[in-house]
Amino acid sequence: MIRAQVGIAEPPPVPGQPAHVRLERLNALWFQVTGLLCNLECAHCLVDSSPRNTSMLFLDRATVQAYLQEADILGVKEIYFTGGEPFLHPQMPTLLADALAIAPTTVLTNGTLITPAMAQALRRVSDGSRYSLEIRVSMDHPDEAENDRLRGRGSHAKALRAVLRLQNVGLPPIVTVTDFLQHNGSSLFESFLAMLSREGVQKPRLKMLPVFHIGKLEDPQTGSSVSQAMMAGVDPLFLQCSQTRVITAEGVYACPILVGKKEGFLGSGRLRGNPGVDLVHHACRTCYQTGMSCANT
Amino acid sequence: MMDTLQAVQEAQELSGSYARVAVFGGIYSNYLALEKALDLARERDAQAILCLGDLGGFGPFPDRTCALLRDAGVDVMRGNYDESIAQDLGDCGCGYSDPRDNHFAQLSYDYTAARTSAKNKAWLRKLPSAFRFRLGGISVLTCHGSPRQTNEFLWETGTPDGLVRRFLDASGAGLLLGTHSGIKWERRLPDQRGFVNVGVLGRPENDGLPNVWFTLLDADAEKGYRAEFIPVTYDHERLAHEVLAEELPQEFAATLLTGWWTTCLENLPAKERVRGRF
Repeated sequence: MIRAQVGIAEPPPVPGQPAHVRLERLNALWFQVTGLLCNLECAHCLVDSSPRNTSMLFLDRATVQAYLQEADILGVKEIYFTGGEPFLHPQMPTLLADALAIAPTTVLTNGTLITPAMAQALRRVSDGSRYSLEIRVSMDHPDEAENDRLRGRGSHAKALRAVLRLQNVGLPPIVTVTDFLQHNGSSLFESFLAMLSREGVQKPRLKMLPVFHIGKLEDPQTGSSVSQAMMAGVDPLFLQCSQTRVITAEGVYACPILVGKKEGFLGSGRLRGNPGVDLVHHACRTCYQTGMSCANT
Repeated sequence: MMDTLQAVQEAQELSGSYARVAVFGGIYSNYLALEKALDLARERDAQAILCLGDLGGFGPFPDRTCALLRDAGVDVMRGNYDESIAQDLGDCGCGYSDPRDNHFAQLSYDYTAARTSAKNKAWLRKLPSAFRFRLGGISVLTCHGSPRQTNEFLWETGTPDGLVRRFLDASGAGLLLGTHSGIKWERRLPDQRGFVNVGVLGRPENDGLPNVWFTLLDADAEKGYRAEFIPVTYDHERLAHEVLAEELPQEFAATLLTGWWTTCLENLPAKERVRGRF
């Protein structure tokens, strides 16, 4: 939804200068809970995660709790945990319970570590809250060979196993798909639904993401900054950086796409009074063109 | 951060001060349930009847709903559906990403847009987007989806206390009312301020029962407000028959007959989704 901003007068746009987007509201607070450490190494990973990427530390519980407290005051609507692979964090169920005391919470996972015991633990965490716990399991192609070519051998089977385990404990997960193979959204959506139904998923839920040329697909030629002139007449809420922040062990980032990138780093302070972000990274153009959000809906 | 609430900026003040009001959510062209709800609201001595928007969609003969609301003197505000129909925006503005949801939403929108008269589209264009009124001394603010965004979904398991508190603080209201999501719920904060999703008259709420719902609100200075959810039974088989006769999707008729949602499921949070059949 694009709607002209009304109210406070903004200075006129300066041609060629990058747009600056403030935090208009805190809709989604993300925790980069395991830094960039992952047990998979997907070909298109946004943040270049891998089993060897130890460049960003895990978050500790006290840090998570402090930001949750502030987010509650700011009226946050949703909490997200991502990585790396979040379930590499030894306290994941506890952190989810902390978050679910404040707001509905989602965890993004590759599913490989969702054992039957973990699925049961997640069910208990969910039952302990009035809010919904959402588990997003990443897959990239309904065909096992195609999927595993991107995400690693065995990843399709393990993700599907996780989806069914979660379904069995009453937590219908959202399968998150990056349209890397460019099957044009609709048909990929349909073929995923068919595959999930065939495999026994009773209430298939899907989230599609566009491809960002960042991380493992780093390609500065595919985009450029978003200028002030381009944002004239565009509601800043069209861009997720106007309503999202990411907490990492390094500090605060503007959005999940720019984690680890200096263009997205906003310092190590609190959320309140957090500076806005200049849309200078080439990945910003993808958000501008698609209006995509990393959030569930 | 700014807390600029669209509903606060645009609210129309209702002059009366009430002790009891009836509040209807989305009608979705379910004129048969609307007739019954109007009767029930009068039987329960509601001093005013409000409708929080989304008059069309899913059901047949959208002009009948507009006429009923006008003739009954209901205070009607517009929802995202009404904005889209009134301004010929081309889709309902629900923002679905599931192609199946979009397919059915488009069929519903195209039918409603084609069968809403020019006179009623002009009427929809003039409707306010929010109301403010006093209920037993409590300041009440209505919205369609959320006070900050007409088409924002506020589900019971998707809406934190902190967000409700922020909306109440920013609006100065003691009670917020909304609809849009399609399932009724109430949240009361420890300080007794709260939010009520009044439910919808348009379709049953995904619980396997064919009845629909509206909300009766009472308040007095001592006890504060009380929300009572009123079930509305109506001739749902007749409506389902008319849906099919108008060549609307059989999935819409199935929802009316069974009480289970068959479309527009993608925005349901996990806990609401798991309660339904699909």
